[in-house]
This record gives sequence, structure tokens and C-alpha cells, in this order.
Amino acid sequence: MVDAVVTQAAIEMSVEAVQASQIGMKALAAAIAIAGTGFASAWAELSIGSAAVGAVAENKDLFGSVLVLTIIPETIVIFGLVVGLLLIL
Amino acid sequence: MFRPEPMTHLLVVASKERMETVIRELYSHRVFHIRDYVEKEGEKVEGVTIGPPLGSASEVSSKLIRVRSMETTFGIHPDEMTPATRQRVLDLRDTIDRDIAAVGNETDTLLSRRAELEGTIRDLEQQVRELAPFAGAPIEFGHYRGYETLAVYTGRIGRDVEIPVPHEKVFTPSPQGNFIALFVPVEHKAAVDAILQEARFMPIPVPRGSGLPEALLAENQGRLAELKEEIARIDQRIAALKEQQAQFLATCDEYLKSDLEQEEAPLRFATTDQAFLVEGWVPTREVERVKAGLSLATEGKALVTEVPGDPHHPVPAPVEYDNPSFARPTQLLMDTYARPRYDELDPTILVSLIFPIFFGIILGDVGYGLILLAASLGLRRFLPEGDGRLLLKVMRNGAIASIFFGLLFSEFFGFKLPWEPLLYARHLSMGGHEAEGGPMVRELLVLSIWIGILHITLGRILAAVNHGRHHGIRGVIPQLGWIASMWGLLLVIWSIVAIPVMPDLTGVPPLVAGLSLPALVGGLMLILGILAIASESALELTEFPTIISHTMSYARLVAIGLSSVAIAVVVNFVSIGMLIEPHLENFSAVGVLFILMGIAVFIAGHLLNTALGLVGGALQSLRLQYVEFFTKFYKGGGEKFNPFGMIRKFTED
Repeated sequence: MVDAVVTQAAIEMSVEAVQASQIGMKALAAAIAIAGTGFASAWAELSIGSAAVGAVAENKDLFGSVLVLTIIPETIVIFGLVVGLLLIL
Repeated sequence: MFRPEPMTHLLVVASKERMETVIRELYSHRVFHIRDYVEKEGEKVEGVTIGPPLGSASEVSSKLIRVRSMETTFGIHPDEMTPATRQRVLDLRDTIDRDIAAVGNETDTLLSRRAELEGTIRDLEQQVRELAPFAGAPIEFGHYRGYETLAVYTGRIGRDVEIPVPHEKVFTPSPQGNFIALFVPVEHKAAVDAILQEARFMPIPVPRGSGLPEALLAENQGRLAELKEEIARIDQRIAALKEQQAQFLATCDEYLKSDLEQEEAPLRFATTDQAFLVEGWVPTREVERVKAGLSLATEGKALVTEVPGDPHHPVPAPVEYDNPSFARPTQLLMDTYARPRYDELDPTILVSLIFPIFFGIILGDVGYGLILLAASLGLRRFLPEGDGRLLLKVMRNGAIASIFFGLLFSEFFGFKLPWEPLLYARHLSMGGHEAEGGPMVRELLVLSIWIGILHITLGRILAAVNHGRHHGIRGVIPQLGWIASMWGLLLVIWSIVAIPVMPDLTGVPPLVAGLSLPALVGGLMLILGILAIASESALELTEFPTIISHTMSYARLVAIGLSSVAIAVVVNFVSIGMLIEPHLENFSAVGVLFILMGIAVFIAGHLLNTALGLVGGALQSLRLQYVEFFTKFYKGGGEKFNPFGMIRKFTED
């Protein structure tokens, strides 16, 4: 009788542990999504940005088009953010 | 609205004697955009050349250079000045030469005197540097020179030395280096040289002149102080002169510049031996006024012709916006991308409405909106008329939209206002205080996708109008194809999965082969759409994934907004939840410190978030216009309408 109660408690404990670790895994997955896409955006903007500054130094009129080119990769991190939000909420 | 200002192509021909009259007349109207005459290889017409400038061009330009050089000396920037009164051109014309000369002479005298004084100061300072080492030795300079039997050493030395021969020595220790003056009989020179060298002796030549070094030094320093005082007096006079003459110089600058533009105008005309021709564009509503003015000025001796035909070819007309006043600040955002071409739709008015809405959705918070509104109204006073002011107006519109959406989202610095959000909630919970419900992220994301679908559809419709105007129905079909593919794809998705805030078509009974009616219609639209797109060019199909990626991109409206809410909630939690509240409950002397710290964190955190929200909201909203919206229909690259004439600030007729 006592054994059965103890076993039952152990099973409940392990279910709780699994649920908790699942939440943790989700949070980790969201973090990876944000970190990876954030890094990707930054990497892409690094090279575009430096080229853009060079181009604007040559010709100020290019500012508008160069701004557009520089912010294009930002979508990547937005996708990451969306995936992250959907994972944890 | 949607169209730039209509332009008329004008040709003005007259005899050369009338050239100056025509130039002055056109200049006074300030509506004539001159198309410069260019001599091209191979297209040269016999006997036609670029005109020579009018007679006094070089004289005017040399005067202008004189005025500009004085402006540089005084640090005057006419662009940044707001004149109290305007000078009449007629009065100015009579006196300008004399007045410029007078101001110029006074300036030159002051400047040359200043340069002279600076030269003297440099010399004196050099002398002082040379004298300084000798200051510690009370020996007249005359006594260092003129010996036949004595060798004289003067210079810096590492340490004091013992000289084992008969000698006379003055040693003055000093932190800058010890000074030594040493007199020894010539016959011991070699031995003394060796000793001195060991003590790291560095000779310093004896300066010219006579008298005691201390006295000379004091005298020189006295003179230096006097000279510096005089320079300060001259600087004061220059500053006073600047104060006095700034407006005059700016006025001369404007007058001479306008004169020079007119004198040099013939360089843009085509001329023959007897006549000249100037070609350009005038806003259509001004044509009659220009014609009447020219006819009056030249007594009907100038021929003004409207060039008929297509205003787009061979040279497109310059573009002047024609928008209602509330949309005008947004023209700045349009010009940053590219000015519309004459023959395409001008989307300024759409951007002026949609940009603030997107900004408001991203930064939907009453508190931040109020800060930005106050900033945009407050800063207006400090900025001169121009792009800065326009930008502030754009910011003001954004701030108002932000307040509006803040009321809908029920947000105030991340706190909840006393009512439930009228749109979907964006409130995040933190620190164990579970907010009711939490943010409705799925609904918000779908809402942003909806906005994207509608915005992109609008872009495609505009593209259909633009292409339809140039290529007729053949231009419209691919654009309709894009719209059909997107909505077809949506129908198919809706009949496969149920998405919140979107129509749920999963329940529609299957019709054929397990497919429901909406799915079939959607599939058909998709296929027809793809065919329509391919009818223009199969390469266009490589753009097909943008249907999804561009629509998904609108998720930033919510994503950036939520991150701004998150920062606000964190700031509130740290400042109020962790620093202020616990110490208010158990009030103590140390607690006051923590409460002050909490207030500081609250203010700094929310200011930072306002700045981030402003930059993020503006850039992201702008990007949705530039990348997702404009790429569908907008080319840009029109030439700015730049009428011959000047907006005058300092002068009047």
C-alpha cells in the first residue's frame, strides 16, 4: 500500500519534471531562433552597411536607396522574433 | 494629388538685344525650369552656340567672392539667419560697391594688423624660449662673448660637475634640465670637453643682445602681454563688426548671387549671331502669366511657343509635387527614396497616411506618443525652416497616431489604462504578476499579416494603373496576376487550416476529389495568376516567393511593438517593483536612496525606450513603404523642378 503511493508520487514528479523541461526546451528553442537570426541579420548588415557608407560618401543622393538596401536583411530577425514568440506564447 | 504638377514645355525666342530683359523677367517669375542647351558631338547645329555671359558677370562674381570671403572670416551663415527687415534692391544697388569696400577695408585693416601682431608674438615667444635657460645665471650676455684665452660653455647638463682646472662656473638646477655656464682657459678645453660629455652636456648658443637675462626676459614677457591684449581688442572689434555687418553681408550675398545667376543665364541658352533660344518647363497654370509678362517686358518682341505633344518624350518634364498641405512633410520621405517621375503615380498622399499608422501600431503607447508630440512641437522653435521642420511634422503625425493606437491598446508607459484594450492586448506579464490573459500574439500577428495583404494589394493595384497607362491592357494583366495569385494562395490556405482572425473555410463540404469550392477557386486563381505573371516574362516568376516573404515581413509591426512593450515592462518592474515599492513599504533612510534610484531608472529607461521606439518605429515603418510597397509599382528618378529664380530672404524689389 505504502509502496503504491510512493510509486504514484514518483510518477507524478517525473511528469512534472518532463513538463518543466519541455517549457525549458521551448524557451531554449526561442532563444536559438532569436540569437541565430539576430546574428544573421547583423552579419548581412555588416557588409551592406559598410559598402553603403562608402557609396554615400561618393554620392549623397544614394542615401535613400542605400538605406533601403541596408534594412532589407532586418526581416530575418523579425522572422526569428515571430518564431520565438509563437514558440513561447 | 496622385499626380505631379502639370507642366508645359515652352520655347522662348527673341533677338539678342532683348536677352537681358527676358532673363530678368523670367527670373522674377520663378516658375521657369530651364532645360540647359548642351552642345553634343554629332548633334551640333551650324551657327548655334552656347551664349556668352552678360557684360558684368565677372565683376559681379568677383564682388561675390569678396563678400563670401568676409562671411568666412566672420563665420556668417546666411542660410541660418532670419532677417528682421528686408532691404530694397534699388537702395542696395546704389550703395553696394561703396559699402562693401568700406566694410572690406575695415576688415582687411583689422586682419592684417592681427596677422602682424601674431607674427611679432611668435618672434618674441621664440626669444623667450631662447632666453629662459639663462635666466638663473646672473651674467650679462655681453660677458659671454669676445674672449681669446677663455673657452665659454653654456648649455644643459645632466648633473653638476667638478672641474679640476682653474675655472668660473654657474650651475642652476632646474626641473626642465640643469643649466651650466662655464669659463675655462683655452688650454684646458680638451679635458673639460671630456668631463662635460660624460655629464651629458648639451650646448645652447648664447642669444644675441646685452643686459641681464632676468631683465630681458621680464621685458619680453611684458611686451607679449601687451600684444596679446591688443589682439584681444582686435578680436572684440571683429566680433562687433560681425554683429554690425552680418545682415548687410548676407543681404549683399543674396543680391549678388541673384545678379550672378542672371548674368550667367545665357550659358544655358542656345544663341546665334542675332537671336537666342531658351527652352524649359513651366507649371501649366502659370503659362499665361509668364507669356503676358514676357510680352509686356519686350513689347511683344519675344516669341513664346508651347511645344505640343507628349510631355514624357524625348525629355521628361521636371517634377513638382502637388499635394494637400497635410501630405507635404511626407515629400521629404519620398525624396529620400527618389522623386516620382512625371509619368507615374505620386504615392505621397498614401505614404503620408500609412506611415503614421504603421508607426502608431509599432509604438502604440499614450505615454511615448505624448513625449514625442511634445518633442516635435517643442523642437520646432530651434530649427530653421527646411528639411528639419518637415521631419518634425512627420514625427508629430507619427506621435498622434501613436497616442491613438495607445488608447486602443490601452497602454501608458507599459502600464494598462483603466479600460480593456479595444484591439488585441499587447500587455506582457512579469515578476509573477500574471496579467489577465497576456498578449494575444497570434491574433496580433495575423492582424499584421492582414495589413500586409491589403498594403501589397494596394501596391499592385497602383502598379496596374501605372502600367495600364503606358502599355494598355498588356501591362495590367501581370499585375492582376500577382493579385490573383496572392488571394488564390490565401483561399487555398484558408480551406486547409483554420487561422484566427481570418475566414475559416475548413468546414466547407468537399465538392470534387476531396476539394471544397474555395480551394478549387483559390487553386484556379493561383494557376491563372502564375500564367498572367509569366505572360510578361517567365523570369518574373523568380519573384514569386516574395508573395510570402513580403507578407510575412509585416509581422514586424507587431514584433517590434511587442519588444518595445517588453522593454517598458522591464523598466517598470525594475524601477517600481524592485526598487520603489519594497522601500515604500518599509520606509527607512537608506530606502530613500533606493527610491531615488528607482525614479532615475524609470526616467532613463523610458527615455531610452522612447528613443528606440522612435528610431525603430520610423525605420521599420519606412522600410515597409520602401521595400514592400514601393517595389510593387514605384520607380522614381524624376528630375526636381528647379525654377530659374530665387526665394529671397533679405531683399525685395
